[in-house]
Amino acid sequence: MLIINCPYCGPRDQSEFSNGGEAHVKRPDGSKEIGDREWGEYVFIRANPKGLFYERWVHTHGCRKWFNCVRDTSTDEILVTYKLDEKKPNLNNFKSVVKTPSGEPEVGSGNFTVEK
Amino acid sequence: MKSINLKGNQFIQFHQKISFKFDGVKYFGYKGDTIASALLRNNINLVGRSFKYHRPRGIYTCGIEEPNALVQIISEYSEPNTRATIKKIYEGMEIESQNRWPSLENDFGSINNLFSPIFTAGFYYKTFMGPHKKFWKNLYEPLIRRAAGLGKPPKDFKGISNHIHHNVDITIIGGGLNGLLAAKSFINSNYDVLLIDFEEQLGGIINNSNKISSIDNKEPKDWLKETIQEIEDSKNIKILKNTLVTTYNYINHLIAIEDRFVGSKPIEGKVNSTLHKIRTGHTILCNGHIERFLSFQNNDLPGIMLSSSFEKYMCRYGLAPSKEPVIFSNNSNSNSLVYGLIKAGLKPKAYIDSRSGEEIEPNLFDLIRKNDVPLYTNSQIKGAFGNKKIEKILVEDSSGALNEIKCDCLCLSGGINPDVHLFTQSKGLLDWDEKDLTYKPSKPFQPTITLGSASGQFNFDNLNSDINEKLKTFKVKKLDVKLELNTNTKYNIEKLWEVSPQKKSLWAKSFIDLQNDVTTKDIRQAITEGFDRIEHLKRYTTNSMGTDQGKISSINALGIVSDLLDKKVNEVGTTIYRPPYAPLSFSAIAGRNCYEFYDPERKSPIHSWHLKNGAIFEDVGQWKRPWYFQINKDESMHDAVQRESKNVRENAGILDGSTLGKIEIKGEDALEFMNLIYTNSFTKMKQGSARYALMLGEDGMVKDDGIICKISDQHFIATTTTGGAATVLGCMEEYAQTEWPNLKVFMNSITEQYATFNISGPKTREIMKKAFPNINFSNEEFPFMTFQFHEFNDIPIRILRASFTGELGYEIYIPSNSAPKIWDNIQSVGKEFGLAPYGTEAMHLLRAEKGYIIVGQDTDGSITPIDLGLSWMIGKSKKDFLGKRSLARSDTIREDRKQLVGIIPSNKADKLEEGQHIILDREIKSPVPMLGHITSCYYSSTLGHDFALAVIKNGHSMIGTKAYASTSSMSTTGVDIVKPVFYDEDNKRLVS
Ligand SMILES: [Zn+2]
Repeated sequence: MLIINCPYCGPRDQSEFSNGGEAHVKRPDGSKEIGDREWGEYVFIRANPKGLFYERWVHTHGCRKWFNCVRDTSTDEILVTYKLDEKKPNLNNFKSVVKTPSGEPEVGSGNFTVEK
Repeated sequence: MKSINLKGNQFIQFHQKISFKFDGVKYFGYKGDTIASALLRNNINLVGRSFKYHRPRGIYTCGIEEPNALVQIISEYSEPNTRATIKKIYEGMEIESQNRWPSLENDFGSINNLFSPIFTAGFYYKTFMGPHKKFWKNLYEPLIRRAAGLGKPPKDFKGISNHIHHNVDITIIGGGLNGLLAAKSFINSNYDVLLIDFEEQLGGIINNSNKISSIDNKEPKDWLKETIQEIEDSKNIKILKNTLVTTYNYINHLIAIEDRFVGSKPIEGKVNSTLHKIRTGHTILCNGHIERFLSFQNNDLPGIMLSSSFEKYMCRYGLAPSKEPVIFSNNSNSNSLVYGLIKAGLKPKAYIDSRSGEEIEPNLFDLIRKNDVPLYTNSQIKGAFGNKKIEKILVEDSSGALNEIKCDCLCLSGGINPDVHLFTQSKGLLDWDEKDLTYKPSKPFQPTITLGSASGQFNFDNLNSDINEKLKTFKVKKLDVKLELNTNTKYNIEKLWEVSPQKKSLWAKSFIDLQNDVTTKDIRQAITEGFDRIEHLKRYTTNSMGTDQGKISSINALGIVSDLLDKKVNEVGTTIYRPPYAPLSFSAIAGRNCYEFYDPERKSPIHSWHLKNGAIFEDVGQWKRPWYFQINKDESMHDAVQRESKNVRENAGILDGSTLGKIEIKGEDALEFMNLIYTNSFTKMKQGSARYALMLGEDGMVKDDGIICKISDQHFIATTTTGGAATVLGCMEEYAQTEWPNLKVFMNSITEQYATFNISGPKTREIMKKAFPNINFSNEEFPFMTFQFHEFNDIPIRILRASFTGELGYEIYIPSNSAPKIWDNIQSVGKEFGLAPYGTEAMHLLRAEKGYIIVGQDTDGSITPIDLGLSWMIGKSKKDFLGKRSLARSDTIREDRKQLVGIIPSNKADKLEEGQHIILDREIKSPVPMLGHITSCYYSSTLGHDFALAVIKNGHSMIGTKAYASTSSMSTTGVDIVKPVFYDEDNKRLVS
């Protein structure tokens, strides 16, 4: 189980939180004309990278605040959490990012226990 | 196998006899015995039948790695697959062997052994997938279901376990020599330390072997006693005994299970196991090593045992399973057994080593020579033979000659492996050691430290320096322990995985996985068939997939595969080790979250009244809601529902609607916020009025509905469905925080603060007048879809004129604490008007007659407001609201979408069924094009026939046509497609 550092409450067990998918996905402005593609991408399309990922979480069984984080999806390491109104961190600031669980290639099944 | 008790053992209380039953026969053991040691004491070694071939099996090991000796504990709710080598006996314990019929000695299923040539690798896949599917269904499956398997599921089990959380700096797993030394370093330091051991007594190898002769010039057991005392006295160290770490998760999160009733019968109602959830800064793995076996013909015969296990029985349980075992080894680990046997005045029948004379340690050589033990170097065992027990072995000596040796016990050692299970669970990397022929921990992925044999240090020479070096990041004292050994040797091993059989036969078996009955031949066959990747091979042959996960054999399998493929073991790789380390019962994982604590039960403030008045409850989310009220025990549900609904239509009924979700929304921008969340427009709505509203997802589909009361532009109260309350509040909070943080608005759940009563029926106004005499309920003063605040006997109440039944109706909102009083009052004044309570089922029937939908029943997340015929609820002038743009997607404007319609049987006497398909053809001929399905279906005594709501393709334009509904008896019923309103279409009763 992960430990997640709520920007309002501090580090807590993952079981107190809910995941909200990709962060920084802007809802199209309803007061303007929205094209099919733009709206479709907002509703249905999310990134799913292996590696660093901007992600939303909510402290459901805590302060109930939403916040953002950068999580390495290959290691589950949460590198930083930040409030919604804070600037999103530059991913280049995080070094040696693909430290995959068992040193497996960045792309693949992950079923290599032995480093090549 | 004739065993002998070795007196003077500190762990077994020979003065305390314990009786137990095995397969109905009474035996005696001693306090401290495991089932296995007690059975061996009684010279019983046949304890079970194997998984597939029903071969006789005995006790192979003396610990958690046991593949064979699995038993059913009858006296503990018939708990199956218990390892006899771990479970301690207690007075009156009842044990049964598994997987045999009618008895262990005469097992009918052993006929499988004769058929064994067909049960080879991939048998299940081939018969299941191949051209012989019929065989699978008619022959194999019934046969296998009866014959293959382990124990039977437990009966009436109601185990209780609790969960304990720990937050520590250091967790030391394993209280053997290295674990104790590591703990010793942390004595009185500033670190919070948890020391966990699986056994009741700490000490590991000190207790289990003859290897160590002195520590710091003291007898090992004296040193042990002192050291444990020091650790126990240290305030910063907590010791958990009888606790097995099963899981090593990410961020140093460990799961361990503690047995609270070791050596005694669990007391019913008491916590019998504790699941420890540990969060630690560093983990120090000192969990030792596991000995491997070797493969040769009939290496599964009862009487064959790992040599370190034999030694453990001697040291730990004061028992030599045999007076004169034969020892077969390819390494130096069994030297201490030879030493121990001779020290105990026993003598090995023979010592057989695959290594040459030069490789065998000189001190072992001397010991063997001095005691006239027959010695075979450069030799291998070709096979073991006997009826249900080992009787003789065939040894091929260095000259190639075959020697027959009669024996009742054979001790095997194929080398040792660090117990890397937890290390690899933590995602640490392993490396193959070509000299020691085993995988050893290499790079940790987490703050994990490995010590001793768990790290692959099979010798003791670097004991101090290794610990000091690995613990140098901590502020702890340096160790300087002096260790002397009985058999002063360095670990040495010669490669040997499998001995080639003496003669080839279809029935000759050389096992690689004892628990799953996998033979080395299966491995060969799998590779021939192309399953040469280790993960494929494992699944195809089921090698190491038993409850023991191949602890004594999986490395041997890798060795055999690497030889067959002519690859290095490192290139073959290992399969992934997954938690748990050893089986963990579901009851331990569930902890207290079971039965009545599995999910909270929520009850309305009126619950006790319902109980007294014949309510039959249904679960709606976590809520208990009256489903219907029985006026007497004989009244059927159908009769009760028809009576209740008829009474609402003719007189008046009252429903406890307290479970409805209620959310209060306040703030400067509350109006704008509500306009964005719901499809409706609230801008022109008058203060004090209410509106039925829909909430969509961004995909345009209906997610929830409810009534919105506008108190002012800055203050709203919304109701939600009973099940949707938390989701709707969560959604509002999400959008308020993430999309529209500029809006000044707050929301909170007030579901439990207010009870809600829904009163409806033609006589409702009379009842309300009488119950609340100060309020004017006339149509002019209190029109439909308005609400008013009042005080009644100093209780603030809110009354909303709304209806979910189609009759004149009011909803009363009362602070929960005062609700029962007002409920009782309404009951008593309503009596003369025929007021009666009704439950959710009658409510469903009444609303369906009126064509009101239930979100989640008539909708399923793929239905838009337009599909429901509710376009009028969409605030078309609004620029934006959740899901608005999606209502113009190409998919949502399709004409052939499923749309809500009403269905009545063409022949009024016919029945309809919920969930059945609406189709166009009378005859069911596959493929049947399906138009849609019936979402709600009831018998209405008001209409006098069945009626239904359905969602069908292009439904709105099909109104007025005929179709068919399928039935559960595979026929069809002719139906008329009608408008989804069956009662009071022009709302006369609603606004009367
Ligand atoms: Zn928080």
